[in-house]
Amino acid sequence: MKSNSAKAEVAKRDRSFFMAVPAALWQFLFLYIPLLFIVGLSFLKSLDGSIFKNFTLHNYRELFDLPFLKIILRSFALAFFNAFFCFLISYPVAYFLALRVKRMKNLLLFFLALPFWTNFIVQVYAWFFILDRHGLLNNALLKIGIVSRPLHILNTSAAIYIVMLFCYLPFMVMPIFTSLSKMDKFLLEASSDLGATPWQTFYSITFPMSMAGVKTGFFLVFIPSFGEFVIPSLLGGGKFMFVGSMISYFFLETKNVFLGSAFTLFSVLFLVCAALGIYWIFKKLFN
Amino acid sequence: MREIKICDVKKDFNNEVILDGLNLTIPSGEFFALLGPSGSGKTTLLRLIAGFESVNSGAIYLGKQNITWVPINERRVNTVFQNYALFPHFNVFDNVAYSLKIKKVKKDIIEQTVIKTLKRVHLEKQIYKSIHQLSGGQQQRVALARAIISEPDVLLLDEPLAALDLKLREKMLVELIELQDLLKTTFVYVTHDQFEALTVADRMAIMNHHGEIEQVGTPKEIYEFPRSSFVAKFVGTTNLLKGALRFQEKKYYVEIEGLGKFEVLGPKNKKWACNGCNVLMSLRPEKIEISKKRLEGFSNCLEGTVESIVYYGRSTQYHIELKNGFVMQVFEQNEEHFPQEVIDYDDKVFVYWQKENVVLLEK
Repeated sequence: MKSNSAKAEVAKRDRSFFMAVPAALWQFLFLYIPLLFIVGLSFLKSLDGSIFKNFTLHNYRELFDLPFLKIILRSFALAFFNAFFCFLISYPVAYFLALRVKRMKNLLLFFLALPFWTNFIVQVYAWFFILDRHGLLNNALLKIGIVSRPLHILNTSAAIYIVMLFCYLPFMVMPIFTSLSKMDKFLLEASSDLGATPWQTFYSITFPMSMAGVKTGFFLVFIPSFGEFVIPSLLGGGKFMFVGSMISYFFLETKNVFLGSAFTLFSVLFLVCAALGIYWIFKKLFN
Repeated sequence: MREIKICDVKKDFNNEVILDGLNLTIPSGEFFALLGPSGSGKTTLLRLIAGFESVNSGAIYLGKQNITWVPINERRVNTVFQNYALFPHFNVFDNVAYSLKIKKVKKDIIEQTVIKTLKRVHLEKQIYKSIHQLSGGQQQRVALARAIISEPDVLLLDEPLAALDLKLREKMLVELIELQDLLKTTFVYVTHDQFEALTVADRMAIMNHHGEIEQVGTPKEIYEFPRSSFVAKFVGTTNLLKGALRFQEKKYYVEIEGLGKFEVLGPKNKKWACNGCNVLMSLRPEKIEISKKRLEGFSNCLEGTVESIVYYGRSTQYHIELKNGFVMQVFEQNEEHFPQEVIDYDDKVFVYWQKENVVLLEK
């Protein structure tokens, strides 16, 4: 009887594995195989449009002639500071929503997620009207009298940072909100019961308990920001090259897929190392 | 050590009145139990003392200090939560040391105190374990150690044993009594379980469904001399018979329709008792004798039919249907391997009781 039920248990586990097959297959076919192609392509070289069959490190050597390191570092800075500013702004919002709001919580969450309901490109274009020389922001600033001449924001890195922050905010708020909501509220009572002031409770209980959400949010913002292509190209006026725009330049403009592949691989490698490094720092700082 | 005084405290949530002018004094250094059904406001009262909730009106004193509006973290009152509320990201040591670390006590003193406190709850071997590695009973002990380490004036326990199994609960009850004996801290123990309350309490208060205190007294006073039918029914089991009080020939009787007259002791200091008025007669099942034979030496006797028998091992519970249809509960100790008299279903039996064992209650 016992061995039967044990067998049934094993069978159940095996079946549940099959449920993951479609997703795994999908990822394998459309992510890992193309990735292998890119790895392969990065070691080949084109002469007069034909493929050089020999293995070569030429593409990687050529990378060093380009300002590619500068581009990668610029992307890294954008990703890191975007994630950091998102965290600074999101944490109070998530804290307020999770722990202070009693009624209409769902309504407020709905408003938070509202930007998701509109097309991304439309959102980004909407920012043109806000940041333009004669846009909403400048009009407002002039009216109040904070500035005497319209600010030049569009096509600067400030524009990129502002819009990036706006677009990625929900990705930071949601995980922090979730981790704070899941936290047992009695822990906060226990902490103050044991003599902690509200501030002491925050830094020894609330914040550590929300670290999982902070980490998730940070990487949810950091990783896609690194490769972000639309916002820098549209709002930066094409003045600044980022990893995303560089890759699209290689593949779509110069059609140099070999150099593009090498660059892609190198930036992915950099991103993985950077993410691991940040993860390690998180661990050192908060454990 | 200071007593807790609750003066005319009112509390409502969303216009629902939970406590309406409650008065209670909890003496210093006692093991005090708050017993009541769920929804009686006993947890609310506890949370008011701890400071998690604030009163609508009234005042709470700890000794001479009015603590009604003192912040939670400044009250010398600590709580053991029903779900323990242990900090999951800390190990046992850090959980127990929490209040001392908050007060910035020196490291070596913290360590000594934590070890001493963990020894008191028999958990010194688990000191560096993570909370997730502990059993329910061990987590309970951590919660206890964490709450007593900074020597509060009052320890509040909110149904602390509700999640434990029966054997462990009984063991923990004994340990709690020993701990209170050692620390001499005022323990306020909230429970809906009369067995727990009767076991641990030096004194207890019974709360009813309306957030009112029905009676305060020692467990023995509460059980043997309940002052209301609510207390008589809520603490233990009882038979409540309606009747009219009669005073005849210097003796008191309760006359019950369809059953007859039964002698009781005189209702002393009971203003509501008068000749001819309706009263309730409370009679505990274990204070009743049952026999198929006519017995001598009892002040009262009734005839009935055995309706059901439930065998509990150490005792047997009989349901006896009386002539007027009232079903009387009777507990008998199973004192002998081979009882001389076997009582079976549908047997005609006599139930006997002494007049001293009856409690008269207001109808």
